[in-house]
Amino acid sequence: MLLQQLLNGVVVGGVYALFAVGFNLVFGVQRLLNLAHGAVFMTGAFVAYYTVRAGGPLILGFVAAAIASGVLAMIIEIVCFRRLRKSGDAEFGAIISSMGAGMVIMTFWQWVSQTQVLRFPFDTVPVVIYRFWGLRVSLLQLMMAAAAIAIVLVMAWFIYRTAFGRQVRAVTDSERASMLVGINPNRIYNLTYFISGALAGAAGVLVGLAFNNINFTMGEPYLMFGFAIIILGGLGSIPGALMASLIFGMVQTLSIAYLPSGLTTAFIFSAMFLILLVRPNGLMGREEAGSLRGRR
Amino acid sequence: MALILDNLSKRFGGVVASENVNITVPKGKITGLIGPNGAGKTTIVNMITGMLAVSGGTIRVDDTDITRAPADQICRAGLARTFQNIRILPENSVLDNILIGFHRHERCSTLSALLGLPASRRETAAMRARAEALLERFGMRHLAEYPAGGLSYGHQRRVEMMRALASEPDYILLDEPIAGMNDVESDALAVLFRDLADSGIGILLIEHNLRFVTRLCEHIYVLDGGRLIAEGAPEAVLSDPAVLTAYVGGEHA
Amino acid sequence: MMNLLLGYQPLLDLFLLHLGLAYAQWLVLRAGVFSLGTVGLAAVGAYTGGILVVTYGLPAPLALIASALSGGLVALALSVPLARLRGIYQAIATVAFIQIVLSLNIYATNVTGGAQGITGIPKTVGTPLLLLAGAATIYLMYAITHSRLGRAFDAIRQNEAVAASLGVSIVRHQTLAFVLSGALAGVYGALEAFHSYALVPSQFGFPYLIAILSYVVFGGRTSLWGPIVGTAVLILLPEVVRPLADARMLVFGILLILTINFLPKGIADTLIERARGRRLGARRPAEADTAKGS
Repeated sequence: MLLQQLLNGVVVGGVYALFAVGFNLVFGVQRLLNLAHGAVFMTGAFVAYYTVRAGGPLILGFVAAAIASGVLAMIIEIVCFRRLRKSGDAEFGAIISSMGAGMVIMTFWQWVSQTQVLRFPFDTVPVVIYRFWGLRVSLLQLMMAAAAIAIVLVMAWFIYRTAFGRQVRAVTDSERASMLVGINPNRIYNLTYFISGALAGAAGVLVGLAFNNINFTMGEPYLMFGFAIIILGGLGSIPGALMASLIFGMVQTLSIAYLPSGLTTAFIFSAMFLILLVRPNGLMGREEAGSLRGRR
Repeated sequence: MALILDNLSKRFGGVVASENVNITVPKGKITGLIGPNGAGKTTIVNMITGMLAVSGGTIRVDDTDITRAPADQICRAGLARTFQNIRILPENSVLDNILIGFHRHERCSTLSALLGLPASRRETAAMRARAEALLERFGMRHLAEYPAGGLSYGHQRRVEMMRALASEPDYILLDEPIAGMNDVESDALAVLFRDLADSGIGILLIEHNLRFVTRLCEHIYVLDGGRLIAEGAPEAVLSDPAVLTAYVGGEHA
Repeated sequence: MMNLLLGYQPLLDLFLLHLGLAYAQWLVLRAGVFSLGTVGLAAVGAYTGGILVVTYGLPAPLALIASALSGGLVALALSVPLARLRGIYQAIATVAFIQIVLSLNIYATNVTGGAQGITGIPKTVGTPLLLLAGAATIYLMYAITHSRLGRAFDAIRQNEAVAASLGVSIVRHQTLAFVLSGALAGVYGALEAFHSYALVPSQFGFPYLIAILSYVVFGGRTSLWGPIVGTAVLILLPEVVRPLADARMLVFGILLILTINFLPKGIADTLIERARGRRLGARRPAEADTAKGS
């Protein structure tokens, strides 16, 4: 039984990983928290839903969701962050600005969906269960795990093996230095946000399929969980986010299974608080969480 | 009675940033600390002002050991400082910037500050008067209400000085105070520093400008690679071949 | 005339209640504490007051004091971990705090009535009391910001290194600001409970957080007028322009983006600064200080 829960947790963790890694990508590159990430995630779910509802195959829905979310994230960067980054107050400003963007997007989908809860048509993913070693795994779970792994691998290859990826890492280290060697930071930011959004959108589709509860507020809890995950993994660290997502997925599944319901959320965030207290840099963070701060 | 750095050292892991630094800053005199870029002056400054932990040795202000003191206690021990890149509070007026310098002397209870009781208001008024006196002394009284962020560089420097003086320190650490100034401006500041020293304050002057340092300081320490390579009267130190090598790479300045 | 005013009374009450929380949020931001947890502390105060009155029959004035204390004490407890964090980490921690309070309120059904909340709170708070509270709050904020505390807060907010070099204890001052804001939020949470018969956990969640933040961001984070202007405009706007009331979240969202990008200091602060600039500029020609050796 425990093993089953762990397995479920790992699958969920994989989906969280897509969300958290996207979040961390933006933070790593620009030191900004994008609070609209949950709304982007939700957009993926909606776009996939409407694509499937219009008769398209799931794979098309997936691709459409990823692209739409990616583009949305790029727009958010341009509208909300670009101007702010030049000022001295970007940290606070980014939180406010992205909060606003999140609300605008939420209101849009609330209006489109007419505040209904949407569900994918019944056999969008055929209900097939595999059994092995005493464990059950559904086709959907396999899909989620496979998608998460595939996407993460592609992204890892992209960031660590391609020229473009090198440029992303260069800009992360120092925007000015990278400009001096001829890199156009804005192009890099566009791309980074696109990837971050596409990841979130993909996660949204998977979550939409898994829980079949697509509504305009579905992004909020994930945003909160996303916080907890990246704190655990360390702000700015992608490998940390990956590890933390898996751990988080397992912890969450276990606590739902074994703790009285309703306490899960309180438990998770209290745990996050404790981590912030004891080791604010998380598992693999590179930041100074508590250094003496002064503008400029 | 002096500001004394005794065998001060700083290590970052295996890297030695400072070692065996012994500096004495007597009251009433201007002591210089010079050295080429990367010599470790900033490390020393940060250790003195409590921004960086000390690996070994001690720092004393008169009888008070401030080696492990947190940054906000350094001022209370009687040591004020200015910053290399001017750090005034841009959103506040010039007067407010100086007012905050008096923080060390503000004694009214928290409750009276919270509720705006007469004790707090009287104290604020008294501090304002003192701040205005300082402004008068520095010839900037007419700029009292201006937002400090909009001032010229020279004015901002003076605001910083006034702020440092407001705490009535026994010692002041001046971190590259004339960076970016022309000779006329720096000469005016030199006069000011001399006045301060004559009034009994011990000054530790950290500067690049050798001419300035030679003019003002009675005693100079030269830092290179984290260690003191020379000390003494300006003329002697600046003709020391080791110092010349460190600064200009072997050629005569 | 009286009828006109009476018609607007609920609006005035709403304004006064929200103003208090706006000031609580404003106060922590002024001290450079990156806390967004004001509504969580308000929830603590609200439930303390509500439970004391409904379950234990305590008279409202005593319950109000207890709410202030509970808000302040919880803030004090929180300030210990918060003191070790900076910037974004503080923000995340305080948002997590709101979530924790929310979840605990929903979970502890025996004590807090769970998701249904508490009902039947006697309405002991009306407009006169709220006006009094508002005046007292504004006075308190004025006194603090013009005292040595306010000066210390300003220094810490703009540059911690400078503040420390002048002998300002950052930890003590930020803790004080946070505890004060907690007590203030607690009081206003209770005032809200005693004004509206009922209490549900969800009213102290993210929509409220966003509203309070909007007031302060839009109005101004530094000047005393900021929260007043921000709260007034953002509460009146949906009333004056009816369709906006339904799209409240949308309007707030757009306003937040526009304000922080184009008018980052907020309306009141920007106007005050411009007025000051004009006043000083008018004086300038008489004081030519160019030759003074800048």
